[in-house]
Amino acid sequence: MLFNSLTFVIFFVIILALHYAPFSWRVKKSNLLIGSYIFYAAWNPPFVILLWLSTVVDWVVANKLHIEKRLARRRMLLLISMVVNLGMLGYFKYGGFMLENFQVLMSTLGFDYQPPDWNIILPVGISFYTFQTMAYSLDVYLKRAAPAKSFLDFALFVTFFPQLVAGPIVRPTQLIPQFKLPTVATRQQLTWGFALITLGLFNKIVVADGLLSKAAEKVFDAREMLHPVDAWLGTLAFSGQIFCDFAGYSTTAIGVALCLGFSLPDNFRFPYAAIGFSDFWRRWHISLSSWLRDYLYIPLGGNRKGNLRTYANLMTTMMLGGLWHGASWTFVVWGGLHGSFLALERWLAARFGQVTFWKRWGPRLLLALVTYFLVNITWVFFRAPDFATAWRLIDTMLTLNMDGKKVLPMIDVLQVLGVTITMLVVHWFMRNRYLHEVAVALPRWLLATTWGLMLWLIIITQGQSNAFIYFQF
Amino acid sequence: MPSSISSSDMPGSSVEPVFERPLPVLGRSAWLALVIAIVLMIAFEAWVRSEGVTPSYRNSEGFWAEQRRRINGDAGNGWVFTGSSRTMFNMQLAVWERLDGRRPLQLALEGTSPVSVLEGLADDENFTGKVIVGVAPGLFFSGYEYRRPAIDRYQKESPTQWFGHRVSMLVEPYLAFYSYDFAFPVMLRRQPLPLRKGVELNLDVRKLNNMERDRNTRMWDKVANDIEYRDLARSIWAQNWMPLAKLPEPVQERILESRSKQLDRAVSATKKIQAKGAEVIFVQMPYEGHYATSEIDIAPRELTWDKLIEQTGALGLHFKDHEEMQGYWLPEWSHMTGSEADRFTAAFYGLVQRKLTAREATGGKQ
Repeated sequence: MLFNSLTFVIFFVIILALHYAPFSWRVKKSNLLIGSYIFYAAWNPPFVILLWLSTVVDWVVANKLHIEKRLARRRMLLLISMVVNLGMLGYFKYGGFMLENFQVLMSTLGFDYQPPDWNIILPVGISFYTFQTMAYSLDVYLKRAAPAKSFLDFALFVTFFPQLVAGPIVRPTQLIPQFKLPTVATRQQLTWGFALITLGLFNKIVVADGLLSKAAEKVFDAREMLHPVDAWLGTLAFSGQIFCDFAGYSTTAIGVALCLGFSLPDNFRFPYAAIGFSDFWRRWHISLSSWLRDYLYIPLGGNRKGNLRTYANLMTTMMLGGLWHGASWTFVVWGGLHGSFLALERWLAARFGQVTFWKRWGPRLLLALVTYFLVNITWVFFRAPDFATAWRLIDTMLTLNMDGKKVLPMIDVLQVLGVTITMLVVHWFMRNRYLHEVAVALPRWLLATTWGLMLWLIIITQGQSNAFIYFQF
Repeated sequence: MPSSISSSDMPGSSVEPVFERPLPVLGRSAWLALVIAIVLMIAFEAWVRSEGVTPSYRNSEGFWAEQRRRINGDAGNGWVFTGSSRTMFNMQLAVWERLDGRRPLQLALEGTSPVSVLEGLADDENFTGKVIVGVAPGLFFSGYEYRRPAIDRYQKESPTQWFGHRVSMLVEPYLAFYSYDFAFPVMLRRQPLPLRKGVELNLDVRKLNNMERDRNTRMWDKVANDIEYRDLARSIWAQNWMPLAKLPEPVQERILESRSKQLDRAVSATKKIQAKGAEVIFVQMPYEGHYATSEIDIAPRELTWDKLIEQTGALGLHFKDHEEMQGYWLPEWSHMTGSEADRFTAAFYGLVQRKLTAREATGGKQ
């Protein structure tokens, strides 16, 4: 079920009505759980079985891990959780990719291997909920947290519909405790929840789909060398589209949860105002970057084993993070570029980080623009359907070869530039501020007018919207 | 990567606590925002209606899928219309129902070759009726499928899409603004801006019709009555057209290849339908103006239509061969106004009946 659909509007009204009806807390949680299964099954009912499998396996594994003292048995239990979760992910998401690469390898070695057809439908949001349940077993294994006492609470943690299919990837310690005591939203939570839903849907429906997606599509679907202006505008369009799409989903999810009285952590903090790549990853898809930090980078050794190992760990983490987004080498390159920039930044910071020049306002703005420029270069690999397209675009963007074809009409030029400039100004202004502070500081008439306008624009953009980009990951 | 990497976290130190979301006090802003949104909506709806738009059903993918599913129910042994926009505009279900006693199913899709729909009917054991296939040569023999997502939607519709369509159908007949042409991004795209040098002008098709509850389609009055709007519609049909011979050679080759491929697909699907005792009737609806040049250029009759009729052995009705199909007003060269479509449908129904009877009498020969 898409947030930006009439089906969701009806679904959410029913869920809210049930949640505020005079039922016991257990019944309300059961309603939320059943609602979450319906939310997921609305795409493809059989895939609910995967959710059940993941829930049951990690529930049993974590409970046994908690009482088991023998290291070998504990490792075996953790392995079961990993095999089930990563096995599902591998089968549905990476099966075709692995077969394809195996075929290439065999062909390189001179063997004629024809892989079977791998026409498997990817279950929506599988990468998100498998990471969430794995975190649960890992936390219990690492003795960071005790297992949940109630199966209902745990099942709801795995399935909680606001963040089920595209995050934020919530840690057990962030959500399960909230299910313990009866919760309904206060009037303030409800109002702010609806404000966040409006903002999130505005980002997704109006900005990402309405104003930017067409330009990005035209440029990334082009099969010929493009004019550098078009290549840059298409990349900037995608840069804005993916932010508004994904941050839009997260903001809506946070708002939906808040209307029910639950608090989900932030997933984005105005990332295009980042100064450097470590700052960028503190602001972009925060729940994934912190997951990768805690469950991959640090277990690999983090920065505790010398400089070379630190760089290698950064690269490994980011390349796997890239692969998490999709079964394609273009995503690995995207992750690799981010890993390289993080490593380079670390190297530079160790040598020049203390120079006071970089702490002034002007140079910091320059660094932010350089970061934005490099982030855009990485988006080319993220969005391009293949390397040929990516190289073609990078080529024209960097060499400024004016012979390429122009594909974007004036309206796209204006929309992309308008949104990009506005977005950069807003991100820079909000860099060290919080949304709730700004909302309070605004005159009431201005806040209400902006909110009303956003609502109106969402409605009149009507049936022009698409599925969220991150659903495919 | 978050900065905590540089402080080299130790395993066990990363327990994320419950996040307490700070809450602003917004007072009555929410109510004020709601009022503003409602006022804007009312004003917008009024403006759209003042443009001559009346509420109508959206020609959505879900709508087509819903109608296609009727084959599996009560409509499988009745009349089915498919083809592209000419079939949608010109074939009036109410007129046909009045003459035949049974309301046909409208499965035509604008800008889309009907060959895939025909193949679907051939493979569907529930279809045993009669299908009228509109052949717009430029589309039919190119295989172009502007509305392919509608066919995919029928095959893969998810429960949420099915439900969303049902809810949408409840509000569509009451809201004039709830139309593709008045979507915010579409209105922005249609602003008269200076052209960017080197970029091909590519105007999208404007609103031409209204749709009823079973996809019966009537031309929008504005197309017939507003000369400027009609001229715009005509200029859109003719934009960026080039004769086949002037297209780059690889493009010409591709067109010729798809011509023969589409012909083979259509012949095979037709024979499959005929084998189960069902009837296929091909029809070329009238066209003029720009289409009088372009249709013949892209798909010459003797190389396309004549071959199709000969190879399928199906009944073929070309407007140039039958008086009953001539003499209609086509405001933008290929679609009829509602009243003309009523007249056409009645005449065409009579023609079809006569031809079918004659065919039966001669044992299946035209």
